[in-house]
Amino acid sequence: MRSQILPVLRLASRPALKVAAIPRTTPVRYAHAHQESFEAFSERYVTFFQNAEDLFELQRGLNNCFAHDLVPSPAVIEAAVRAARRVNDYSTAVRIFEGISEKVENKAQYQAYLDELKPLREELGIMTKDELYPKSS
Amino acid sequence: MQAALRLARQQRRCLVTTANPAHVLAGSTSAAVPKRPLIPLSNVEAQWDKLTSEERSSVHDQLEVLMKKDWKELSIDEKKAAYYVSFGPHGPRTPSSKPGENFKVFLGTAALLGVTGILFIGIRALAPAPPKTINKEWETAMNERGLEQKMNPITGISSEGYKGKGFVVSK
Repeated sequence: MRSQILPVLRLASRPALKVAAIPRTTPVRYAHAHQESFEAFSERYVTFFQNAEDLFELQRGLNNCFAHDLVPSPAVIEAAVRAARRVNDYSTAVRIFEGISEKVENKAQYQAYLDELKPLREELGIMTKDELYPKSS
Repeated sequence: MQAALRLARQQRRCLVTTANPAHVLAGSTSAAVPKRPLIPLSNVEAQWDKLTSEERSSVHDQLEVLMKKDWKELSIDEKKAAYYVSFGPHGPRTPSSKPGENFKVFLGTAALLGVTGILFIGIRALAPAPPKTINKEWETAMNERGLEQKMNPITGISSEGYKGKGFVVSK
């Protein structure tokens, strides 16, 4: 009697074995296994900023973009600054450059960003915070 | 009283709908939107804390119009005002400590430490002399007495090949 009941109980206690046998139609998504490359990240935020419609959306995107453990690429910065121009908010454009200076590791990297984006700054007439409020005064 | 109230209500309705011809003649657009006094943008940083919320929103409106222009045409004061109003050190961005406050904290801590040091030295100076048994002579005498009595012969001072100091603790 006992030997007959046991296999039944064992089957009943492991329903997962049956479920696993069914072929999956959707792939399993593990949050930790997905690693977005830097290029994909840049592309995603460039399109995001190009489509940003208002100031709230732009600042929300900036918050997300600058929250990662990386410095956004110049292409992303350019898209964000152009979005700021589109929604007519000068202070956000200045704030983007302030954000870069917070994210980079040293002053040389910040200077490299400034040099790279110099044409854009001159085209739109954007001054950095240090230019607006010099440290000496 | 009732008549006066009705009259007032009628007048107000006239104001809103601009059905009063005299009012239309007087220029209802400027009356419907009360013209706010223009706040000079050149020194917004200094007077921002004193501005009322209405004046602040007037500054906001001015800047909103200004920032629609080409940014290269803006003067540096207008740029500064735009940055200050959005991200300046006011409201939630007020710095938590003023410059020079750290030095005050350092001075206060140093003063407290000095007071405790003085207290420590003073109390020790006023304390009675240590007991007569805590000195080198007394402790050597205790060792001699211990050896005399063959005290602790297995592990202590009377044991064979004992290298320790026995009762001597003071220098």
